[in-house]
Amino acid sequence: MSSTTATSGLSRARRGLAPGGSGASPGRKSKLSAQTTRTFFWLLLPSVVLLVLIHGYPLIHAAVQATHDGDLLQTGNFVGGENFASVLSSPAFWKAAQFTLWFTIVGVFGSWLVGLGLALLLRTKIPAGNTFKVLLLLPWVVPIVVSSTAWNWLVATPDSLIPSIFRGLGFGTPLFLADPTLASITVMVFKVWVSFPFMMMMISAALASVDTTVYEAASMDGASKWQQFTQITLPLIARSTYISWILMTIFCVNDFPTIYLLTGGGPVSATTSLVVLAYRTVFQDFATGPGVAIAFLMTMTLVVISVILYRQIRKSSVE
Amino acid sequence: MNVQSAATRPFSRRNFLGLTAAAASVPLLAACGGGSATQGGGGGAGGTVKFWDMPWATPAYNDSAKKIAEGFAGANNAKANYQIIQWNNFYQTFSSAIASKTGPAVSTGGGFQAFQFEQQGQIAYADKVIEKLKSNGQFDDFLPGVLDPFKSDKGYVAVPWQLDMRVFWYRKSLFEKANVALPTDWPSLLEAGKALKKLGAFGFATGAGSGNNYGNHSMIMMMVNNGGGVWNKDGELDLLNDRNVEAIEFVRELVSNGIVDPAAVSYTTDNMSAQWKDGKAGFGLFQVNVPQRVGDTSGDLLVADPITGPHGDKATIVFPNNIMMYKNTPSQDASEEFLVYYLGQLKELWKQKLMSALPVFKSITELPEFADDPNNVKIVKDWQPIAKTFAAQGSTLNANLAALDGGQALNQFSQSILTGQAPDAKTALQTFQSGLESVLKK
Amino acid sequence: MSAVLHAHPESGPALGIADTGKTRRVLSEAGMRGRWWRFVLILAITVIVLVPIMVTVVLAFTPGVNSTATGLTFENLANVFNGTLAATWLQNSLVTTLSTVVVSVAVAAPAGYVLSRGRSKAVSGYSLLLFVMQSLPIITSVVPLFILFAGMGLVDNLLGITIIYVGSTMTVATWMMAAYFDSIPISLEEASWIDGCSVFGSFTKVVLRNSLPGILSTAIFAFLLAWNDYLVAIVFLRSNEIFTLPMGVQSFFQQNATDWTSVMALAVVMMLPPIIVFATLNKYFSVGGIGGSLAGR
Repeated sequence: MSSTTATSGLSRARRGLAPGGSGASPGRKSKLSAQTTRTFFWLLLPSVVLLVLIHGYPLIHAAVQATHDGDLLQTGNFVGGENFASVLSSPAFWKAAQFTLWFTIVGVFGSWLVGLGLALLLRTKIPAGNTFKVLLLLPWVVPIVVSSTAWNWLVATPDSLIPSIFRGLGFGTPLFLADPTLASITVMVFKVWVSFPFMMMMISAALASVDTTVYEAASMDGASKWQQFTQITLPLIARSTYISWILMTIFCVNDFPTIYLLTGGGPVSATTSLVVLAYRTVFQDFATGPGVAIAFLMTMTLVVISVILYRQIRKSSVE
Repeated sequence: MNVQSAATRPFSRRNFLGLTAAAASVPLLAACGGGSATQGGGGGAGGTVKFWDMPWATPAYNDSAKKIAEGFAGANNAKANYQIIQWNNFYQTFSSAIASKTGPAVSTGGGFQAFQFEQQGQIAYADKVIEKLKSNGQFDDFLPGVLDPFKSDKGYVAVPWQLDMRVFWYRKSLFEKANVALPTDWPSLLEAGKALKKLGAFGFATGAGSGNNYGNHSMIMMMVNNGGGVWNKDGELDLLNDRNVEAIEFVRELVSNGIVDPAAVSYTTDNMSAQWKDGKAGFGLFQVNVPQRVGDTSGDLLVADPITGPHGDKATIVFPNNIMMYKNTPSQDASEEFLVYYLGQLKELWKQKLMSALPVFKSITELPEFADDPNNVKIVKDWQPIAKTFAAQGSTLNANLAALDGGQALNQFSQSILTGQAPDAKTALQTFQSGLESVLKK
Repeated sequence: MSAVLHAHPESGPALGIADTGKTRRVLSEAGMRGRWWRFVLILAITVIVLVPIMVTVVLAFTPGVNSTATGLTFENLANVFNGTLAATWLQNSLVTTLSTVVVSVAVAAPAGYVLSRGRSKAVSGYSLLLFVMQSLPIITSVVPLFILFAGMGLVDNLLGITIIYVGSTMTVATWMMAAYFDSIPISLEEASWIDGCSVFGSFTKVVLRNSLPGILSTAIFAFLLAWNDYLVAIVFLRSNEIFTLPMGVQSFFQQNATDWTSVMALAVVMMLPPIIVFATLNKYFSVGGIGGSLAGR
């Protein structure tokens, strides 16, 4: 298994074996290890600079805003945790947190399942398979301003295409954006529609690196296709899967346009996620401190989730 | 221009040091806010006034406005340049530009933006402009009452240039088909709605979906139409007054009778326009120039008469869009001179039929290009005199109205009424009031 | 479920390199039927998935309100290119996006390599930091970034937004690259170290050379993020002649009204380059991957 090779290689690298040589002499070992560290430093440097500039600076800035009572132009007075306290005690925050949770769960696993299914299907021999592969990436490609409008046309009014089809089938006339429950479902389906191509691409790339001879060996050992899937395919793409889950979690939690352009967060805040709430609080209620505090709380939650999933990745690469 | 010249300068060590220093002193926005105007972010070499304008209408509008702005030739060789700012996230665009001293010297913008930036100490008062308008005769040309809402204790915060009116429109053929009279008061509005419903049309067409404020405006309009409003005469929050409760109970009655489209809560302005075009909307609150906007040239869409409330009140709401001047300018004199010049040229925009709003000057309403349309004439004659601002029953505009207009409290209130989720008007207004209280600046 | 069951390599391996020899045997009748079933299935899925996009495309070719044309027409596209600076916007978008892609990959690949191979506390701390830092939503970052960039003269030009795009793609791109490098056995590098390569040398000559699918996925991610962004562009770009395409789309949104035919026409223009990129690069996703090196082991 490649992972064991990698681990042993890494432990060797850690011991200073890399590059070249047996690492017998202690002097040579420290020199080489210093060279590795130096190379690693230079390889990381550009990303560190960008991280500080593009992410670090606004983060500190946001921390200042969240603890002050100012607006976008003036810092205002220091109020400590007051903004956080007021946000945490507001029912709107918890309602948005709840919606964000569902939106993220459905967004991540929905798009993963669809993406996985399609990646596996497209991996087999299918006439014009490559064309489908490209066509299926389109939902991710179309600007969200445009696709949200197209979705609006398909579902918004009782005479739109999809409600008309439901009516024709005898299900009444569902109001996909006006009914709170249906609107939540519609937004989530929209999110899955936008996101599954990313998952499909990630999984396809992972599958491409899987050595197919493994399957032939398993087949000869009498493993069923389902066993091959759960015991070979899934473990082999596990790391990619965890990473794509983390990324998609972040994409979902931070996703502003998908929700905002389709429903604006309504009806009556039924589809208001935390980022939409933060946006509306800062730019529509003009309550900068509380709005940024919401964004901050969101970020902290994301970090906790990321750390948990990150541990999972570390585990999966050691196993 | 400052920005461009800086951009073409080679990236110097000093720039870089400046960046490090900026990063080190994080609460730098405070430092940015109070600086002097000599940096000239609002202007640049040779006293060029930066004028920022919004896409108020089709691209042809912006072309004409640009031509007008660039035609400005003031004293000391002052000039103006023209910049379109997109509506999307415009408050963010203005704020970040002002904070970094790259903002405009003069601009149009959101209806209450001038009051927000005034509160933040960025606005230059327009009193001298008003003086000049008095001396050149334009002051007396203003339609009645349009200037008053802009007068604060410290001076005129901005100068209005167009009126975004909310008026009732109706589709004539639908009323003929339903054989019902045009509403003149609330009971007849309900009757007409019931009759239109039999034809599959809606007697109170509105929408409160993403980015659509007409639903919000319909709510406030009905309150104001009943002598109520969000504020009392002293400008204090007063949502729970009896007139408001009565008005909202009436809207709830419209909703429960199916006179409001059950999907209206999710309608964007485009969904609404389509309803008007397709003959699904029989009666409802909309803007000026609806036939052009929805693309209906049949002559079947007409402005209705104002409706009288149960206590004899007659009123609608109006958003007086305005032009503001900023403290950050190459020359305050040039800003003022430009503004006076621009107000004097406004008639061109209506002459070319580019605007979907009422002009603020009587003389423009008398232009044949404007008065040709009987709908326009009716709005000026019957609706403009009874129009009140969002500040009603108070009289002057203020920064809090921005949080009311686009904010979450009003939007959720309207949506709870339009979906019928609210148990009764009083509870809904109570929620609205406490939601608004939490975001208002004292 | 059927997708899962059909995920058997015998039905056709994804790896081009394995598509030789014994697997290219004559397909049985059942195999042929399976192929066509899968074709019908994927066709149905694709059609359903693409309905909203077809709506867009049809509208882009439907005559506008004031048009005399009938049927489908290229008029809207022509109007957009003649009446606006769409050609310039297209060029700006291409320049910005391609620079973002190249620089992002150039920054993310080395960093991802360190994340994948480094096992020190500092490295794992940094990889977590990448997440912490980038999870703040962009809408709260735009204003401070604008103020910072304005001081450097980087607003209203393409360099400024390119730097921001690189910054915002870089974190995710680094993780994507790290994930891919993890699938490359370190034995390959060890072999090159024995041949006398430096760490950097084996990274560029051995690891990168075997990472095309990973690089392409990352590049496509960066491409789409930069290509479709409007939240940053709308605050940073002012002048019509330096707009990117998404900003061009925004310029059709007026007060309370939108020129949808132009929006959709420009949207079709926006869809084309990514489609071309995907179509061209598609085959590299399945061949030339690490599988090739493994096969020869």
